Amino acid sequence: MEFPLSFWDISLWLAVTATILLVTSELISPYYGKTNLHINQKRLQNVAIIVSLLFLITVAIKIATIITSA
Amino acid sequence: MGEHTVRINIGFIQALIAVMLTLGAIALAGSFTFTSTILAFIGLGLIFWGALLLYIKPEGYTKRVLIDAVSSPSLTTLNEMIQELCYKGDATYLPPKYFTNPETTKVYIAKNKRGSLPAPEVIRIYENKSTAKTALGILITPPGIELSKLLEKSLGRRFAETNLKDLQQKLPKLFIEDLEIAENLELKTEDGPTESMTVHAKITKPFYTDLPKEAEELSQAPSAIGGPICSAIAIALTKATGKPVRITDTKSSEDDSTLEAIYETLEA
Repeated sequence: MEFPLSFWDISLWLAVTATILLVTSELISPYYGKTNLHINQKRLQNVAIIVSLLFLITVAIKIATIITSA
Repeated sequence: MGEHTVRINIGFIQALIAVMLTLGAIALAGSFTFTSTILAFIGLGLIFWGALLLYIKPEGYTKRVLIDAVSSPSLTTLNEMIQELCYKGDATYLPPKYFTNPETTKVYIAKNKRGSLPAPEVIRIYENKSTAKTALGILITPPGIELSKLLEKSLGRRFAETNLKDLQQKLPKLFIEDLEIAENLELKTEDGPTESMTVHAKITKPFYTDLPKEAEELSQAPSAIGGPICSAIAIALTKATGKPVRITDTKSSEDDSTLEAIYETLEA
């Protein structure tokens, strides 16, 4: 019994999730006049940034692995 | 109708979060048992979006009509009190130099229409009283004091440490993005005939009716105290410019979607 997803799978999942979150957080920004959405937009933006950073970290790890293995 | 829909939506979202988290946990457990990549993706997705919805849901929700109903009587009472005590002068927001404690903000209303501002030394005697009657006028705590403190807290520094140009850039962001007080805020400055300056503020779709019609009708003074939003802007202006400020005119549209206020800075 082991976790079926590889490191690369998680990285891909983070990339897709980060893209969706970043686009959503920008589209519901009050500068677009969508202030009637009853969600905490600041928190959504923070989560979008954190997920994006996590994805970038996975990319950095992958690059480091490629360089060290070469 | 709209607010009822919002309440239903919040209940629906909470049920949806519970379902997503449960299904996600089951799918993730299943992925371990059957070593299934698809189940793992589904489980991760459901748990993540469920947790995200739980995290981004609003902290609190208050009906707009409820805020209007609660704030309206206090503003009406304040205007009634001023009218009853026969203070006919202009309401002037005093800058920090009038007080020993720079955090203090007061509005001075002269007894007579042409009453001038007293010297800072006179004001300092009554500084620690919430409402102080002098022979020439009255000192009261403005209705926007708490809102201005909240704005300062969100800004991360005191208004007294900023200037008018800074305020023109930062205040709209605080109003629109940080505190979501209104959908838009425009601050335009205009030089007056002497050394005074006029500031036009246009607030689009404020989160509640700033100055109810009853309070507006009662306000006899040529320059009024204003509602909490107009008052908070006046406090910010008086602290940033270091000059006394008057609200010379306030205008709200029929449907209360736009609020315009004109401020005038005076020479101390």
